[in-house]
Amino acid sequence: MRVAFVGKGGVGKSLIAATVARLLARRGDAVLALDLDPLPGFAHSLGVPAGSGAFPDTLAEQREGQGWVMKEETPASELIEQYAFRGPDGVRLLSIAARPGEWKAEQSTALRHVARTFADPAWSVVGDLPAGTRQAAFGWAGFADVVAIVVEPTAKSILSAKRIANVLVDGRPEGRVGVVVSKLRPGDDPERIAGLLGLELLGTVPYDEAVRDAEQDAQAPIDGAPASPAVSAIRDLLPALASR
Amino acid sequence: MGKGGSGKTTVAATLARSLARRGAHVVALDCDSNPNLGISLGLGPERTYELVGIRQSMDSEPDPEHTESAEELLTRFGDVGPDGVHFAVVSKIEKANPG
Repeated sequence: MRVAFVGKGGVGKSLIAATVARLLARRGDAVLALDLDPLPGFAHSLGVPAGSGAFPDTLAEQREGQGWVMKEETPASELIEQYAFRGPDGVRLLSIAARPGEWKAEQSTALRHVARTFADPAWSVVGDLPAGTRQAAFGWAGFADVVAIVVEPTAKSILSAKRIANVLVDGRPEGRVGVVVSKLRPGDDPERIAGLLGLELLGTVPYDEAVRDAEQDAQAPIDGAPASPAVSAIRDLLPALASR
Repeated sequence: MGKGGSGKTTVAATLARSLARRGAHVVALDCDSNPNLGISLGLGPERTYELVGIRQSMDSEPDPEHTESAEELLTRFGDVGPDGVHFAVVSKIEKANPG
């Protein structure tokens, strides 16, 4: 599985991405998680300290006429072995920021190198993109076979998803792009939302107080609310997210 | 400023509408590259989606002879929503930029 999660802020990208990574690892997959958002969120959802798995500043440099490049052509697999944080269930994590909100070209270049070149079919790769259209527009979802746009049933979230879908379809016409409707409540119509966006419905995740409580207590939902409806629903998403 | 989904847009829009109802002249600027403020101001998703970013408009119609004032830009590219709130989008990302 190679999947990227995108969407408006607060829709549940990190929750779903981190829980997918943990569930894949529990079933025995080798899992690389990519936290591509400089703002904290994914680390909490995965259950690791913020800033875990950031590259050191020493791997990339700026060259005349080339911009930022890796100093040495180290294979992605070696960089993962050396630098990826070992998280719960054996998930390996690489993060774009060493400190909350920090964005450095040195670290971004190294992470981009791994995202672009790591192609080991024995591994699953799960990426969590920042909110909005910006990173999707700059090709950060390019590693993924499936891009899941997470949408909650609000007009703002659906409009954001429409913009992201436009950007993604422009940028990678060959990829599969689908919708996960999150924070679903009784009476919501996820098929209608996917239809409005003209995209495949990959699945749904219900609104869940137990997940909210776990997040309030700074616990990964899969640890703090393992039997919750949302975590069960994320488990049910796995087949739809698989590469074909 | 704040994390996604924490309510920045809702608070800003409701503040803009409340000030306008009190009689103030209000300009609401959406500075998010994923601009949703129009929805919370009450313009609806279609009008919000159609509004172009001022920056994109200026890039596509360069006119070195004439630099427009903020008021002219607001009139040309902005919209007026409920309670008379003037509204414009600063910048919007709509195209992929490979590389």
